[in-house]
Amino acid sequence: MIQNDPTAPSALSIDNVIKSYGTTEALKGVTFDIRPGEVFGLLGPNGAGKTSLISIIVTLEQATSGRVKVFGSDPALQPRQAKTNVGWVPQEIINHGYFNVEEIMEFHAGYYGVRDPKPRIKFLLDGLGLWEHRAKKVKQLSGGMKRRLMIAKALVHSPGLLLLDEPTAGVDVELRTRLWDFVSLLRSEGLTILLTTHYLEEAERLCDRVAIIHKGTLREMGPTRQLVEKFSRKKIIIKLQSPVSTMQHADLVSGAGTDWTFLVGMDKPLGALLREVNVSSDQLSDVQVAEGTLEDVFLKFTSNEVKA
Amino acid sequence: MKAISRDLTWTPFLSLLRREVARFMKVIAQTVVTPIVNSTLYMMIFGVSLGQQIHLEGDIPYLAFLIPGLVMMACLNNAFQNSSSSIISSKFSGDLEDLRASPLSLNQIIWALNIAALMRGLMVGAITFLVGQAAYLFTFHELLPVAHPFILFVYLILGALAFASIGICVAFWAKNFDQMSAVGGFVLLPLIYLGGVFFSVDHLPPFWKTVSMYNPLLYMINGVRFGILGTSDVPTAWALPVSIAATIVTMAFARRVIGRGNFQRW
Ligand SMILES: Nc1ncnc2c1ncn2[C@@H]1O[C@H](COP(=O)(O)OP(=O)(O)OP(=O)(O)O)[C@@H](O)[C@H]1O
Ligand SMILES: [Mg+2]
Repeated sequence: MIQNDPTAPSALSIDNVIKSYGTTEALKGVTFDIRPGEVFGLLGPNGAGKTSLISIIVTLEQATSGRVKVFGSDPALQPRQAKTNVGWVPQEIINHGYFNVEEIMEFHAGYYGVRDPKPRIKFLLDGLGLWEHRAKKVKQLSGGMKRRLMIAKALVHSPGLLLLDEPTAGVDVELRTRLWDFVSLLRSEGLTILLTTHYLEEAERLCDRVAIIHKGTLREMGPTRQLVEKFSRKKIIIKLQSPVSTMQHADLVSGAGTDWTFLVGMDKPLGALLREVNVSSDQLSDVQVAEGTLEDVFLKFTSNEVKA
Repeated sequence: MKAISRDLTWTPFLSLLRREVARFMKVIAQTVVTPIVNSTLYMMIFGVSLGQQIHLEGDIPYLAFLIPGLVMMACLNNAFQNSSSSIISSKFSGDLEDLRASPLSLNQIIWALNIAALMRGLMVGAITFLVGQAAYLFTFHELLPVAHPFILFVYLILGALAFASIGICVAFWAKNFDQMSAVGGFVLLPLIYLGGVFFSVDHLPPFWKTVSMYNPLLYMINGVRFGILGTSDVPTAWALPVSIAATIVTMAFARRVIGRGNFQRW
């Protein structure tokens, strides 16, 4: 579904965007392009600058410098062209105190100039399992329903670009899978998606390409599979029977006394690690192995930075 | 992408207007009952009982003098309330962010907010007028005739648009509910009272009379009084230009505030 026509404008073009809040520099010159039809993941830990970037795209914040273009139009300068093409799912739920689901959808469609929104509203509410809840107010919905409503709302005007700011934060495993299926469906219809997330797995399942952002800077960018191979780590915690004062290993993250934590490549066997740190099995009291999260990868990044 | 039929001129504006009207219709009980109670109290205390002791020039009963003032006060208060509480509650729930992210233009936002506020102002003004007529009928066994209905409407509309715009400015500026109600209580209410709702500025000491002459509300309130009674405390030639100017200035200010304002939630 990704269009490779080099003359077509990017669905989203971020060009050297800097954003400062007073003395905090949230974005320090971020540049990337998303091709039409692509699903692009922006991965990063808390405070990396993901929401700041999205806020600039939807003009809720103004970039300190740099340019943003949606299908060739600047949302701040050509709001009509740019904004009708953007659907936005904010990180935090919007409440709409007085109105029910159907009213919220109708007003929202209207703001984007949609003349006859009813069929589209029915389609989206059906697809997201909200049709039978259409007479409820937001506060009467469960957390997961609220999330789905935010997504339905963002799609009601059939935008070309969807911005999903942590769509699965605080969502249970089953619903998360359903949302992923829905996003895959949207992708197959040619929608371009920018998705921010903490979860490597989410990016792995959904994204054609990902960028890793940390402290306002893009650290890595590339096709998902490539980056996953490069960055996926599993976390191994070795508990010893008696304390040792030091351990030398490139993958060591933290440790003291009896407990030592390592982040190693997904394909590294436990035995190899134990040999490398000279620990024999009878010195062990326990070993815990967990799949690494993106946060762990960054822990390693940042601890390396300190050493360097 | 599927082609969808879009209209970015009227549809966004009408949707926001519909939302704004629906919002105050959801709280219609408090919108309508509060002014009925308030204006009934004012009419009973000031108009009917105290009014017997007050004598105005030109033999106008005090109740007749009071009714236009209360009508305008209700209209202004409700226009201000509507736009400001709409924005404040949207700041609270976060849907103000939706307005900024959508293609709604500055003009569409300001006119939708102002016209909804105007509708509520006129509605509550009309209710107050009906309460006034009931009090008048009860006291004088006849209805109070309206001298110039068209002029009455012009001033009600100008006043409501101005106060709706002030409501927008204050709501965008306010950082919390307390600041919001402080402006209503310490700035607007005194301006309304000193604008001659309850008394004629002719009865003020010369210094305060001069000060009052700089209050644009004096002209708006007296415009309404002229519309109903056919008489006014201030020169009618002044009232219209001052009122129009005040409305244009406040609307321009509100437009600027929306253009630069922060749409982020609290
Ligand atoms: N309105 C604001 N005023 C001041 N600083 C802000 C504001 N919004 C964000 N920041 C700061 O900018 C930085 C980036 O924040 P941002 O919300 O963009 O991060 P994020 O990547 O979305 O994080 P999370 O994963 O927690 O949502 C943080 O240091 C944050 O404190
Ligand atoms: Mg965020």
